[in-house]
Amino acid sequence: MNRLPPLRAWPLTVKVPLLVAALMAMVGTAASYSVLTRLTADQEAHLRQLSAAHLDALAVALQPHVARQDVWETFDVLDRVRRRDGGETTRLLIVTLPDASVLAATDPKDFPVGTTLPPELRSRLEPSADLVIDDERRLAWFHRPIGSGATVIGHVLSEIDIAPLIAVRRDVLGTLLAVNGGLIVLFAAVGYAVVGRLLRPLGILDEYVERVRAGAVEPIPRRFIAEERNEFGRLFHRFNAMARAVAEREALATRLADEEKLALLGRLASGMAHEVNNPLGGMLTAVDTLKRHGSDDAVRQRSAALLERGLRGIGNVVRAALVAYKEPVGAAEMSPEDLDDLRYLIAHEAQRRHITLAWENRLAGPMAVDGAAVRQMALNLLLNACRASPPGATVTMTADASDDGVRVTIRDEGPGIPAEMAGLLRSKATAPLPQGGRGLGLWTVARLLDRVGGEVEVGVGAEGGTTVTLSIPFLERRRTYAAA
Amino acid sequence: MPDWQKPRHEARRVDWTRRSVLRAFSALGLLAIPATVMAASPGLPPLRFGLTPVFLDSDTELLGALERYLTGRLARPVALVKRRTYQEITTLLLTGQVDAAWICGFPFVQFRDQLSLVAVPVYRSRPLYQSYVIVQAGDAAADLDGARGHVHAFSDPDSNSGFLVTRYLLATRKETPASFFRRSFFTYGHRNVVRAVASGLAQSGSVDGYVWDVMAETEPTLVAGTRVLHRSEWLGFPPIACLAGRRDSPEIHSLQKALLAMPEDPVGQEVLRTLRLDGFDTAAPSLFDEIAAMSDFVKAHA
Repeated sequence: MNRLPPLRAWPLTVKVPLLVAALMAMVGTAASYSVLTRLTADQEAHLRQLSAAHLDALAVALQPHVARQDVWETFDVLDRVRRRDGGETTRLLIVTLPDASVLAATDPKDFPVGTTLPPELRSRLEPSADLVIDDERRLAWFHRPIGSGATVIGHVLSEIDIAPLIAVRRDVLGTLLAVNGGLIVLFAAVGYAVVGRLLRPLGILDEYVERVRAGAVEPIPRRFIAEERNEFGRLFHRFNAMARAVAEREALATRLADEEKLALLGRLASGMAHEVNNPLGGMLTAVDTLKRHGSDDAVRQRSAALLERGLRGIGNVVRAALVAYKEPVGAAEMSPEDLDDLRYLIAHEAQRRHITLAWENRLAGPMAVDGAAVRQMALNLLLNACRASPPGATVTMTADASDDGVRVTIRDEGPGIPAEMAGLLRSKATAPLPQGGRGLGLWTVARLLDRVGGEVEVGVGAEGGTTVTLSIPFLERRRTYAAA
Repeated sequence: MPDWQKPRHEARRVDWTRRSVLRAFSALGLLAIPATVMAASPGLPPLRFGLTPVFLDSDTELLGALERYLTGRLARPVALVKRRTYQEITTLLLTGQVDAAWICGFPFVQFRDQLSLVAVPVYRSRPLYQSYVIVQAGDAAADLDGARGHVHAFSDPDSNSGFLVTRYLLATRKETPASFFRRSFFTYGHRNVVRAVASGLAQSGSVDGYVWDVMAETEPTLVAGTRVLHRSEWLGFPPIACLAGRRDSPEIHSLQKALLAMPEDPVGQEVLRTLRLDGFDTAAPSLFDEIAAMSDFVKAHA
């Protein structure tokens, strides 16, 4: 069985009705108690008055018989009185002499003539024992002395059945309980409904905040806002303003990421132009050679081969740039060549900085990953690695496949990545947009990595040098995870 | 006078007579009243007839019927005089304040030189009855000795069946009520003795056997609470007596005649039926010799 959560954690819709019910129960208990107390007191007063009137008259009627100690006449009077009453209220009447011996009783078998009254009943004859009530046995006792003035010649004691009085009290208690119980349930129900209605806007707000957390920023619909013209209405308006701001920032970030890709190409543009221009001189020379010595078969062969190599190099660079620029996001496959193309894009940058590229692409065939995203991340990291490395150093790119994804490692021999930049890389797109453009590349890598569901490891060696390893899961596996 | 008027005149006369008869009947409540009723003279002093509280305490219907019967028979008003005790009635009789009285055999034998018998009731064909000692229905006592130490209810100190017989039985055992019973009291009524024993107020009681038998019919629930422990000899039934000096007076004669004629009259039959008696008869004072003997024995051994 689940343990109940602590009281403070209970929802208001439960706590408030419970509080109302508890207060009602307290008020009801207090009211019932005072009603019953008052009723009991009234009943007692009435009983005392009735008994006094009854026994006073009886004592006067009995006086001459008791004075003569006339057993029969005393009994006759008691018996007639009891018969008239029907034995319903007065259960027993006993007349005793001053020595507490029984002169006569309505039930002579239990109280034989001449025997002494049992001590329990004897105590009822004390002058202080006015009206003695025993609620448990549902009996009351009342007595009156017989005699004139100070001379007491006997006592008459009556035992009264108070079950009807107790039944009335029980009925009243039952009614009070039913009415109070009904009111408590009613008030709790009304409280539940009212609090539920009052707190409904909070539920709506909670739902939309949860959507924001899940990544879907939606404003609260107008129909909800129209219903709330109070504090909640203002809160909804503010939430919607905030949601609009978040959505705008999200759009801005997406646009920035796209623009960053173009900026990357821009940064590569001069290098690429160089890569295109470099073979041009040799190729023009080859064209000259062909014009002049085109009849020579060997020369023609050699020039054509040179031209072909030059054109292929230019073609590679152009294709790589076009792919980087135009490739659609969300492609479901990446071939090893897609990764190798990056070499053409950074070749000039590396050459300019006198950096050796150690390229080790172990991917055996097409991989089920988002090629565009992987390529943009790798290109960013390679450019950063080139920029961070001193002249003559080596930048290593290693790509391999494991059972569950593709791993791309880029290592440089620079001074080591600053801690805040490493943090930006690991931020999984939760970091704010970097100010002043610094770190924009790494921020983009973090966003893309989050999109493809990958992980990043950043290691800095003891003598400098940074190793960044991206682990990108296969798309199917991601779907499986998502489904699980 | 035309002939046709005669029947009308006679009819009127008949009408008047019938109306007067009806008025008399309605006043008396019965149709079969003898013609002497109409001769009842309100000028005569009423005949005063004393009654002891045998068992007819509350039977106002019986008293009404008895009064109607006697009034009709004696052609004069009859006043029924009731008192609480036998002694009061006896005193009224002895002092001439009542003309006759239905008394017990015991006062009769006590004052037999001053009293004369008018009539004696006939019960189950004989002018005799018994005295019973009764106990509560569940009492284990087998005979009178089993009642030792009881709270005992007597009827009346001047009652034969309700006191003398038991006192005599105790005297033969050399006991008195005070020595034999834990406590005793008088209820001044045979029915009250039965009530006292049935309710448990008394554990035993001395009661008129005739009363007990009649009550067994009329109040079976009350009598069921009691059981007869001892039955006495057959004794003279309580008689109707008058002062010896007035025995031959005409009103006593008429009273005797009326009593003896009771079975022949519808109202008288109603009275007798209620009393469970066969009728009344004349008797010699010797009928009460056994009671006299018991009284003498008790006096001698007091």
